[in-house]
Amino acid sequence: MKVRILVTGATGFIGRHVVKTLAATDWAEPIAASRRADAGLRVVDALDASSLGAALADADGLVNCVAGSPETIVANARALRAAIDARSTPVPVVYFSSMAVYGTAEGHVDETAALAGASPYGMAKVEAEQALAGLPTVSLLRPGCVYGGGSPQWSARIAELLRAGRLGDLGAAGDAHSNLVHVNDVVAAALSALRGPDAGGRAYNLAMANAPRWNEYFIAYAMALGATPVKRIGGRQLKIETKLVAPALKIAEIAGRKIGLKGLPPPLPPSLARLWQQDICLDASLAEKTFDLTWTPWREAVQAEAARS
Amino acid sequence: MILDAHDIPSGTCLQADLCIAGAGAAGITLALALEASGLDVILLESGGDAPEPAVQQLYAGTVADTRLHPPADSYRVRRFGGSTTLWGGRCMPLDAIDFETRDYMPHSGWPIGLNDLMPWYGQANALCEAGEFAYTAEQAFPRPSHPSPPMIGNFDSDVFSTNTLERFSCPTDFGARYRHRLARGRVRVIQHANLCHLPMQEGAARLVGPADVRTIDGNTFTVAARAYVLATGGLEVPRLLLSSPGVSGRGLGNAHDVVGRYYMSHLAGTIGTVDLSKATSVWHGYDVSDEGIYCRRRLALRAQAQHALRVGNFIARLHHPRIPDAGHGNGILSALYLARPIVPYEYAKRLYGDAPGGVGNWLAHARNVITDVPNTVRFLTHWLSHRTLAARKFPSVIVRPANLRFSLDFHAEQVPNADSRVTLGNETDALGMRRIHIDWRYTPQDVDTVTRALAALAQEIERTGVGHFSYDPAEVEAEMTRYGAYGGHHIGTARMGDDPLSSVVNAESRLHEADNVFIAGAAVFPTSGQANPTLSIVALALRLADHLTTQANVSALPLPAPSTGSIASTASTSSLPSTAN
Repeated sequence: MKVRILVTGATGFIGRHVVKTLAATDWAEPIAASRRADAGLRVVDALDASSLGAALADADGLVNCVAGSPETIVANARALRAAIDARSTPVPVVYFSSMAVYGTAEGHVDETAALAGASPYGMAKVEAEQALAGLPTVSLLRPGCVYGGGSPQWSARIAELLRAGRLGDLGAAGDAHSNLVHVNDVVAAALSALRGPDAGGRAYNLAMANAPRWNEYFIAYAMALGATPVKRIGGRQLKIETKLVAPALKIAEIAGRKIGLKGLPPPLPPSLARLWQQDICLDASLAEKTFDLTWTPWREAVQAEAARS
Repeated sequence: MILDAHDIPSGTCLQADLCIAGAGAAGITLALALEASGLDVILLESGGDAPEPAVQQLYAGTVADTRLHPPADSYRVRRFGGSTTLWGGRCMPLDAIDFETRDYMPHSGWPIGLNDLMPWYGQANALCEAGEFAYTAEQAFPRPSHPSPPMIGNFDSDVFSTNTLERFSCPTDFGARYRHRLARGRVRVIQHANLCHLPMQEGAARLVGPADVRTIDGNTFTVAARAYVLATGGLEVPRLLLSSPGVSGRGLGNAHDVVGRYYMSHLAGTIGTVDLSKATSVWHGYDVSDEGIYCRRRLALRAQAQHALRVGNFIARLHHPRIPDAGHGNGILSALYLARPIVPYEYAKRLYGDAPGGVGNWLAHARNVITDVPNTVRFLTHWLSHRTLAARKFPSVIVRPANLRFSLDFHAEQVPNADSRVTLGNETDALGMRRIHIDWRYTPQDVDTVTRALAALAQEIERTGVGHFSYDPAEVEAEMTRYGAYGGHHIGTARMGDDPLSSVVNAESRLHEADNVFIAGAAVFPTSGQANPTLSIVALALRLADHLTTQANVSALPLPAPSTGSIASTASTSSLPSTAN
């Protein structure tokens, strides 16, 4: 008999990939859950302990892929904690945290590093991890930048910026390690965590070994996309993007939402430019060993990603 | 981390596994490559992040013949980033023939081959930000939909190729580009620290240390390292070696009087008129590769032709007509002439030469600019957007003459010559170090290389029917020495070889006479080839970094005892804090 795995946030980017991969296994069947009612979806309010608890009662495991505002993140983690505490039998749970819990740390960072979220998002993830601390069946996954499989943030958005000539080789401004991790590897880690008897009760960094620096990623991706010749983006242009264009696009987006305008070009906020310079290098050897991961080769993945768009 | 020598108490003895002197192309490459090696590395740099005239003045010296060599403090920069803060960015690897022992080229032959350097060129290219390591038109422009047009249509020659490329760095300033990586890394970069002397270790005949280090305002300390790398450039390496007595008393590494000798640059000049009006097509501009790199074809004398002609390596480019001569009638070139007061010395020299002055000439240029206004405006707009304001700079002035009559720019190998040399002069600098004296020389064989190569080119242009190359063979020597030694290429002053009688370092760039001193940079090149040296300097530095972490087994070398000499009489042993992680 297949085990039933509840996937909250199943309509999100990672949630969709988790559901799809689970459905293709011979050992699990997914229960895709979302707050929205739709075909094939179970309606679950992941911010509400009783709604979550009721759904969890019918499941043998949970992958929590809920995304949202900082408030949503914290409320979801608290509801999850209450639901797990209320359950009489142990159930394996995978909770998606983020490398944002390390804040502005630089250098080699493994799971023992101090949690010091610097952004509202990062601080919410720290709070969420604290809410789930001490639960022996919960695996906390801290992915770096999840790309591939149509990743809106690290594939589609980047492709759009590269095609528009707004992104390219950034020189010193793109020198940091990317901490990229392919969505397939993220899903593989989550599934392995569900099945591993001793995986729970710990946090795991998730970033490919020898991840490229951002410039390498942008140049290879641009070439795969045919967005050539690759642009060299100077400091002046990056400043114009982050200080002038990004706020204007943000205002246009807010205004556009009211009149139903869609398809605006993505902004390049200062936080993104900061990340590309933050030389943090996640050590994911614990995840690699525990979940027996083989990292998807990034150059091939970039080719595949370019081919699908 | 980046530290300042002024913050290090006088008399301190810093300890490290490896001490590198000089944070330029070679030193920064070594530091980056050794970051994760586990070795404790100190990188000493004389300058800071900005130019400082007093520091640059340490480079001043004397020149035997000022017509043949630029001043000792020009074409090189004493600050963090070194001369990469000034370079033009032209990258190309050495050719296989450059490593060969050629019977017609005295003192030729490297103890290593191109294959020994090949594993490092790709990474070197990346550090120089020159894209993929693809140096032929076929490799760099593989897609038929995005070809590199032939340089000269129907020019099909066994003597000259036109498919090899020069690729251009931004030009990347290694200091600015890699500062952040070094600032948060483990390597201790110490700015404003001048390595002055490398005494022998007490009681050891083949080991050096601790090194004496000074700041320009009198702070002194020592660095006790298991091994040292001098990465201070081809002029400063012999100066440093000769400033320490070594075991022979004749200078460190100089037991056989080789240090500072065989000083080479490149033979360069602009000559004649290449009329290509009969060619089916001519393309002498830049192609932009998919990675966004400016690439340019050149005429290269093939290896078998070098053997047949018994000449050094040689390349040539199609060049615009001479700028100072207003007779070209070209508004762009005249605009450049008028811009002369704002062009830096190092670049102005070859752009303008001994230009005729006078109001009449100025007016003639002004007239060209006005009558050729649409072209001039188009050029200046492109220059502003693609060079002045661009992070990746359009490399040079490209002007296509309407009548397809170009001048010819050449760049050739110089024969190693023991009498062309760098020695210590009698003056001293602010640190009390003897200044250098530069006696660069060329030989009749050098004139032969250029003469024969030009004649062969003229013959091939004629034979293939693409046009005509006219020049005055009697003017070859005058043209190739018009501006003297090519600025900034300081090669051969601590040459690599197997024989200690005729070389300074071995195949691993280590001094023959000391077990813990290595040299990085063009000083170790035994011959110069035709290539601009920076890319190969970086590749050799990567090879050296690999050697230092493997066979050299640096951590097994002894740590020198803190000096008890006059410099560090109050020495106390201490280490600066290392970063946690």
